[in-house]
Amino acid sequence: MGIITAIGDSVAGNRLALKEGRSGINTSMDLFPSRYAGMLPFGIVHHATAALKEKLQVTAPGVTRTSLLALHAFEEAVRNSNLSLTDIAATGTAFIGASTVGGMCLTDELYGDAREADNGSAYLESYDSASIQLFIQQRYGMKGFINTINTACSSSANAIMNGAQLINQGRAKRAIVGGVDSLAKFTVNGFHALHILSHDLCTPFDINRKGLNLGEGAAFIVLEKEEDLNGKKVYAELTGYANSNDAFHPSSLSEQGDGPFLSMQGALQMSGLQTTDIDFINAHGTGTENNDEVESRAMLRLFGTAPAFASTKANVGHTLGAAGAVEAVYSILNIAGQELYPQLNFTAPIPATGLTPVKEYGKKAIRHVMSNSFGFGGNCSSLVFSKA
Amino acid sequence: MQTTDELKLQLKQQIVQFLNLLSVKPEDIKDDEPLFGEGLGLDSIDSIELIVLLGREYGINIQDPKEGRKILVDINTMVDYIEKNRTK
Amino acid sequence: MLYIHHSTCLSPQLTYPAVDLENLQPPVDNKLKAIEPAYEGIPPGMLRRMGTAIRLGVGAALNLLKASGNTSGIIIGTAKGGMEDCISFLNQIVQYEEGILAPGSFVQSTTNAIAGTLGLMSRNKGYNITHTHRGLAFENAVLDAMLQLHDHPDHTYLLGGVDEISSFNYNLERLSCSYKTGTVNSDNFYALPTPGSIAGEAAAMFLVNNKQEGSQYSIDGVTTLHSDDDTVVKEWIENFLSKHNAKPGLLLSGENGDQRHLHFYENVESLLPAGTSVARFKHLCGEFPTATAFAVWFAGTILQSQHIPAHAIKKQGDNAGYKSILIYNNFKGIQHSLMLISE
Repeated sequence: MGIITAIGDSVAGNRLALKEGRSGINTSMDLFPSRYAGMLPFGIVHHATAALKEKLQVTAPGVTRTSLLALHAFEEAVRNSNLSLTDIAATGTAFIGASTVGGMCLTDELYGDAREADNGSAYLESYDSASIQLFIQQRYGMKGFINTINTACSSSANAIMNGAQLINQGRAKRAIVGGVDSLAKFTVNGFHALHILSHDLCTPFDINRKGLNLGEGAAFIVLEKEEDLNGKKVYAELTGYANSNDAFHPSSLSEQGDGPFLSMQGALQMSGLQTTDIDFINAHGTGTENNDEVESRAMLRLFGTAPAFASTKANVGHTLGAAGAVEAVYSILNIAGQELYPQLNFTAPIPATGLTPVKEYGKKAIRHVMSNSFGFGGNCSSLVFSKA
Repeated sequence: MQTTDELKLQLKQQIVQFLNLLSVKPEDIKDDEPLFGEGLGLDSIDSIELIVLLGREYGINIQDPKEGRKILVDINTMVDYIEKNRTK
Repeated sequence: MLYIHHSTCLSPQLTYPAVDLENLQPPVDNKLKAIEPAYEGIPPGMLRRMGTAIRLGVGAALNLLKASGNTSGIIIGTAKGGMEDCISFLNQIVQYEEGILAPGSFVQSTTNAIAGTLGLMSRNKGYNITHTHRGLAFENAVLDAMLQLHDHPDHTYLLGGVDEISSFNYNLERLSCSYKTGTVNSDNFYALPTPGSIAGEAAAMFLVNNKQEGSQYSIDGVTTLHSDDDTVVKEWIENFLSKHNAKPGLLLSGENGDQRHLHFYENVESLLPAGTSVARFKHLCGEFPTATAFAVWFAGTILQSQHIPAHAIKKQGDNAGYKSILIYNNFKGIQHSLMLISE
C-alpha cells in the first residue's frame, strides 16, 4: 500500500497519526492560490509542489501536483509490495486510478489556456483525470490494462473494484488500484457555492455538523491473487464490493438512502458475511447534514444495530477522488493492527438516529471492515476487507 | 422608482434567464404560483441559484439557504422581500 | 463477449431517428457538430441544465432505457464529460473573484453527470460508473460491461460513449496541434499531408447482455495498449487476431487524416490478408476520445445491412459479405484499441 495525506507521507506515518487522534486539517496553510486558502479549513499535504517534484525526481514539464501526489503513493505501494520494475511494466499488471480534479488544480492555468490564442502552457494535456495515469504509465513503461474512473467521491472505491474484477476473472495477474485528488480553486469554489463547506473543523455524525472540509491526498493498494503471493506479507483480503446508485438528486442523497443501503447490502452479500460479522465501518461521513444522517439511517436499516463506525474525514478532510482508496488503506490498517481509531470532533449524536461513533483508540479483534464512499451523481460504493 | 408590478415582471424575466427555464414565458408565471415542489417545480440547486440572483441583481445577501427558502415561496414573497431589503 | 440488442446514435450524420449515411454531412468551420433532436423525452426542468455531452448521452440513451424496462446498470465512457459547464463555472470564478457563485454548472461539470443523470431519470439504482481514460474511455467501458456480465449473467446493461466539442477543450486541443489549420471537407479529410484532424462529437448507446437470441451483433473481444512503438503495436495486433482466431472481412479504421499517425493504420492494414476490405469512419464523426463508440454503432449498421457507404470505403476487398469487423483506433498515436464485432 502507499498513501500520502494531510496526516502523513506514508502508511506508517498515517497510521501513527490515526492512532494518536491527530488531524491534518487547519486554516493556517495557504499552499494553493485561492481567496479561501488561509480562511477555510483544508487537509493539505504539507509539501509544496516544487518540493514534491524534486523529491520524486520528476523533470518532465507539465506534471501537475495531482500527478505528483499520485506518484508518491504509487512508489510507496510498489516498493512495499516488492514489485520489480519488470513486474510493474508487465502486461499482466493492471493500473487503475481515479481523480475528480485531474490537473484542474491549476485552475488559473486552465482559465488561461482555454482562451489563449497562440501559446498554451506546459499543462495543455494535463487537465483531465486520465493525465495522472498516463504520466505514471509512461514513467514505468506499463504494458498492461490502464484505466481512469471518475464517479465523484466514490471514484477510487470503484477503481479498486475494477481491479479486483479483472483479477478474479483472469484478465490481470495483479492490479495497482487507487486514486488521487489535490486541492483546486475550482472544486473549493464549487463546494462553497453549494453551501456544504464548513467554516470550522468538520464534525462527522455530530448533532451540530455544518459541512465538510476538503482535503487532498493519494492512495494505492496492490491487489494480487493468493497463489501469486510467494510468501509476501498480506495486509488483508478484499472479500466484498458493490456499486449502486441513489437515483434521487445530482448532489444530495435521498432521505431513505437507497443508494447507500444497496451498496452496503451488495458488498455484504458478495462477501458471504452476516451483518454481525462486520466489526467496523469506515463511514463516508463527510460532516454534511445530508450525508451523515442518510448514511446513519442506511446503516440502521441494514444492520439493525449499527456496528462500530467512524469517519476518518475528520483527520484528513474529504479527499474526493482519493477518498475511497485512502479509506480503504485505513480500513486495512484497522485489520492489520487489530485496532480502531477514534472519531475526531464528535460531541453529541444526530437526534434522529442516535448513533455514536468510536471515540477512543483501542486494540480490538477485527475480522471484517466495511468502507463506504458516496458521491455526486448518486454514485455509491462499498468495499469489505477481511483478515486474511 | 420601480413599481411593484414592474419589479414583478423584471424578477420573472431574471428568473427565467438565470435558471435557463427554456419552456417558460416570464409573463406566464403567476404571482402566487409556488416556486418549489408543484408550480414551477424548482429544486434545491435552484434555491441556491436564486439566492445568488438576489445578491447580484439586488444586493441582498442571504447567508443561509434554509432562511432563503422562507423568502423563496412565490413571486409575491420574493418581491416583498426585495422591496424591503434591496440595496441596488 | 457481449451481445448488442439495441443501439442509438446521435452524431454529425443522419443517424437518428432514421439512419441515412449515404447523405454525407460535411464539416462546417472544420467541426463536425452533432445533429440534436428535439429531446421530447427529457423534461424541460432537466433539459435546461444539460450541457451538450449530457444532452447527447441522455438523448441517445432514453429510448433504449424505455425499450428495455429492466436495465441493471449504466456504464459510460467519456473523456471530457461536461467540459462546457466546467468552463462556465470557471468563468464565474474569475468574473466574481471567487465570490458568491451559482453552483448549477459546477454540479453538471463532473464527468459522471451523464451516467448520474441517466440513473436519476430512469430511477435506476443499479451499477453506475463512468470511465474517463481519454482515448480508451469507451473501450474500458466495454470491458467493464463484460466484467459485470460475467459476474451477473442475467443482467442487461446500458453501455455508451459520448464526448462533446466544447469551446474550452477545442482551444486546448487546437493549441496542442490536434487540429488541422487548413480547411477540411469531406473530400480532403484523409488526404491532406498535414498533422491534425478535426473536432467531432457524438453519443452512441447500446443495450448489452449475454443473450445471443434476439441480438443484432456482438462485441467478441476488446483489447487496449499504450505505446508509440510500431513493433510493439504490431505484435499486440497479431496476438489479438490469433487469440480470437479472427478473420475479419472488414477493417474499420480510425484513420483521421493526421499524417503523424498514419503509419499505425497502414501497419494494421498490412497485417491483415490482402483481400480484407478497409473502411474509415472519422469523416463521419470527427476526432474525439470516444469516437470508437460511433465506430461500433457504424460497424453494427454495416453488419446488419451488409453495405458500406461508398464515401467510407478505402479499399474494397474480395469478400462476399461481412461476418466480422475489426475496429482499430489510436488516440494521438499512444492509446490503441482493437474491437472485434460479429453478426
